[in-house]
Amino acid sequence: MRPPLPPALQGFEHVRRTWNDSQEFYSARILPGEYYVTRSDEAISTTLGSCIAACIRDRVSGIGGMNHFMLPASTGAESDSWKAAGLGIGTRYGNFAMEHLINGILRNGGLRQNLEVKIFGGGRILANMTDVGMRNIRFVREYLKMENLRLVAEDVGDTYPRMAIYFPASGKARVKRLRSLHNNVISIQEKRYVESIIEKPVAGDIELF
Amino acid sequence: MSTANDLVKDIRGLVTLPHVYIQIGRLVEDPKSSSADIAKAASQDPSFTLRLLRVANSALYRFPSAVETVAKAVAIIGTSQIRNLALSMSVASSFEGLPNELVSMDNFWRHSLLCALTARHLARLIGRCDPDALFTAGLLHDIGELIIFNRLPEQAKESLLMVLDSDEQIQVHQAEQKVLGFDHGDVGGELAREWHLPPLLEECIACHHDIARSRHHRRETALIHLANAIAIMAELNSLDPLDVPPFDPAAWELTGLTPDCIEPAVREAQAAINEVERLFTGRQ
Repeated sequence: MRPPLPPALQGFEHVRRTWNDSQEFYSARILPGEYYVTRSDEAISTTLGSCIAACIRDRVSGIGGMNHFMLPASTGAESDSWKAAGLGIGTRYGNFAMEHLINGILRNGGLRQNLEVKIFGGGRILANMTDVGMRNIRFVREYLKMENLRLVAEDVGDTYPRMAIYFPASGKARVKRLRSLHNNVISIQEKRYVESIIEKPVAGDIELF
Repeated sequence: MSTANDLVKDIRGLVTLPHVYIQIGRLVEDPKSSSADIAKAASQDPSFTLRLLRVANSALYRFPSAVETVAKAVAIIGTSQIRNLALSMSVASSFEGLPNELVSMDNFWRHSLLCALTARHLARLIGRCDPDALFTAGLLHDIGELIIFNRLPEQAKESLLMVLDSDEQIQVHQAEQKVLGFDHGDVGGELAREWHLPPLLEECIACHHDIARSRHHRRETALIHLANAIAIMAELNSLDPLDVPPFDPAAWELTGLTPDCIEPAVREAQAAINEVERLFTGRQ
């Protein structure tokens, strides 16, 4: 018996959710650049090539979510001191993705001291490509350290694309490796996302809690 | 709306059956020809000769002594197997004229070769199938995919996106059926008919996702069905059945194999793939 679709939190109504017949749960599917937060017993899923998905939840209340992002390649426009610190202009996009997700969780009742994090993705799925996956992994690890957030599990790097399915209520995550047949379709999606963020530079403020 | 048959007609002239395969095939079926005639035909193509000797001397055959001549290779490998081998060794270069943007040829042939190695290994295990024929069937099982990807790239992309959007609840061949009305098995089967390949190959190619449709070579088709999923395990370096397309329980029954065979088959394919990749895709 399929239960009714749980209500979406404000701001996440647009995310498509489907019923997984074989394993019997609702799953919200996010695309590169998107994120989703829930207080319900439902899953969030995404497909990752060199992008990262951070899965974050309040381990006490079970409120949590997932984002999906990558850092665009350096444009060469950033200052030398940023470069020296390994913080290209692209890290701004990573910061935004992480802060949007964390703020979404806190806004809906999560507590910062209860947060736990899992990270997935950052694969090197195309040969002869600079390892953007590794750059994304390094960024997110550094971010978690600076923000003092607890990393409880990760499955990153290597040469596979991945499908990540996360259940914020329980904190469980299932990562499925995908065969190379999917490499190109996934990297086309990621490329389109990177082009869209380069065209539309981020601006403005982040609310900090 | 096109059919599987239209697609195969479309690629006539772009992809042709290897000449050496046709010649050897003619001789194999001619009762008056000898293995010397077959060796002579094989020798006409210097690059084929070179690669045949490399295969004959590789770990794939494990002959105790060096195989230095085509005649010896034909004698050892056998005249009927040499025909399958000619097809296997030439098919990758035959399809170079059919590029696509959805899968790299390296990745495509790697999966095909992992399936070929696994099929050969399983055929030896059960002892009632011809290991060399099953190797060729494994190598060709997804050949229809290259035709779909080249002729209908937008629909092919839509099918692959549907698979990902469903969290892989929908498999590739099911998505193709929804988008196109047929799948890569149908297209590969049409190509096998067009090329007059042996019925065993045709059935394995056409029915590996739907073994209930196979009629005359059910055990071989079931074996390719198993080998396909095991090849994906070898590629992903995973023994988790949830990572790969589901095994049809009927395939275990038809082959007499049990899931215990999976792990050794994965290890065997992984151990052999690099050498076989050099031999069959012409990369040095």
